[in-house]
Amino acid sequence: MNTSSRPLTNEEMHRLKSPARRERLFRRASLFSPLLLLLLWEISSQLNLIDRRFFPAPSAIAQTAWSMIVSLELFDHIGATLRRVGIGYAMGAIPGVILGLMLGLSQTTRRLLGPIFAALYPVPKIAILPLILLIFGVGDMSKYVLIAIGVFFLMFYNTLGGVMQAPQIYMDVAKNVGATRFQTFRHIALPAALPNIFTGLKLAAGSSYIIIAAAEFLGARSGVGFFIWASWQTFAVSRMFVGIVVISFMGYLTILLIEALERHLVPWAKQ
Amino acid sequence: MTAALQKTPKPKVVCAPPAIEVTTLTKAFYNSDADRVTLAVSDFSFSVARGEFVCIVGPSGCGKTTVLRILADLESKLSGEVKLHTDDAPAMVFQEASVLPWLTVAQNVALPLKLKGTPQAQQKARVEEMLALTGLTSFANARPSQLSGGMRQRVSVARALADDRDILLMDEPFGALDEQTRLVLQQELLRIWEATRKTVVFITHSVDEALTLADRVLVMSPRPGTLVADLKVPFERPRDVVEMRRDKRFWDLTYEVWNLLASPGGA
Repeated sequence: MNTSSRPLTNEEMHRLKSPARRERLFRRASLFSPLLLLLLWEISSQLNLIDRRFFPAPSAIAQTAWSMIVSLELFDHIGATLRRVGIGYAMGAIPGVILGLMLGLSQTTRRLLGPIFAALYPVPKIAILPLILLIFGVGDMSKYVLIAIGVFFLMFYNTLGGVMQAPQIYMDVAKNVGATRFQTFRHIALPAALPNIFTGLKLAAGSSYIIIAAAEFLGARSGVGFFIWASWQTFAVSRMFVGIVVISFMGYLTILLIEALERHLVPWAKQ
Repeated sequence: MTAALQKTPKPKVVCAPPAIEVTTLTKAFYNSDADRVTLAVSDFSFSVARGEFVCIVGPSGCGKTTVLRILADLESKLSGEVKLHTDDAPAMVFQEASVLPWLTVAQNVALPLKLKGTPQAQQKARVEEMLALTGLTSFANARPSQLSGGMRQRVSVARALADDRDILLMDEPFGALDEQTRLVLQQELLRIWEATRKTVVFITHSVDEALTLADRVLVMSPRPGTLVADLKVPFERPRDVVEMRRDKRFWDLTYEVWNLLASPGGA
């Protein structure tokens, strides 16, 4: 490439590339640190260093999980939880994003409605579970509504923040190129807020699973949360652990899915 | 003062109405916390003929950007009159990065057309034409984050030209660029202007830039900004931004404008 300069010596090349090499090594090693914890747990449990009644060895939990996968026992629960989270999530996220954009774009609406949301936001979602059960009954609707409320606020505030943080110049551009109110909403405010919207979606996914687990403990006859609670009541600790791992994994996969969607839809934002 | 400085004759050519007529424009800002009124622009009057390239120079804070934003209807005036004798609203090239980061270069340029509902095929043809005009053809599918500051301002110019409006307002578009890129873009802008003959109002704090580009330079006083002088720039077109600098008149004019800027009131 560069004809006039001398090639780098091997030693120089080695030094030049060594930070990247170290970086790769660390990245690979970091994958194994959770496994190390599991290993420690396994050993302590096998050696009876921790109470096996409360902390059965990971291998024992894996065995229980396998038998449950084979008997298809867990899949109904997973399906019930996924359906509740999915529907409740959509019911909360869509109005959250729309209202967030609207209040972000219009100062008047923000002044009028902002205080209402600010007053309702701090109410703990689990605290209103009895009220929700009273209004919507013990069926699935009460779960959808509870998740929707939790998701709504996270989406609302993240979207609002996204629009408000967008440089004012984007709004000037919108006006100058002759965008209508709806076009500004759709082509300027929405994409400008999209990175924040995805932050909200990830936070909301996490809190959806917290809410559904708690809701299913108390007011359901199916779902992974119910399964965990029922296992506890029968002192089936291995099964309980399987439930915990499954619901954690569901949350983890949901966030991975949202991140994949984010890379696809927000390619301009640096990850 | 000297021969090189020619005041524009007061009654301009009257055959066609000017594209822009501004009369005793006044703008003030009110800070309610401190109960303080800041007069930004005071009784500013000027007009721009159709197809004319006018530069407004003035010290920072003199309200020149405010004047431009009022012309673009991005800000409201306090009093005075602004008349635009055109069919469409003016297009604006902004000072800072105004290129939308979520769109590619081509999509940014197509934006005004897309929002207007121009048919796809027509959009595509027009965008290609604009990209060619601004030297961006090979960057059509690039994202703004992959471009240099100069390239991004080219995109801004291409977008402003895309839907072919009569008036082009430019708010220090090259202000943040380095000297060399600036010179290149000034030359490009001159070429584009000669090809399109838009009515241009160009804001700058650089005397050099104003003389390089304009048919006429309006000099503003420090805040509250008002017209200090209205100077005709005598260089023939097409202009060469480098060659111009060998012209003695260029330096005489530079000296004149600096004198005006240094002594507010214009006397």
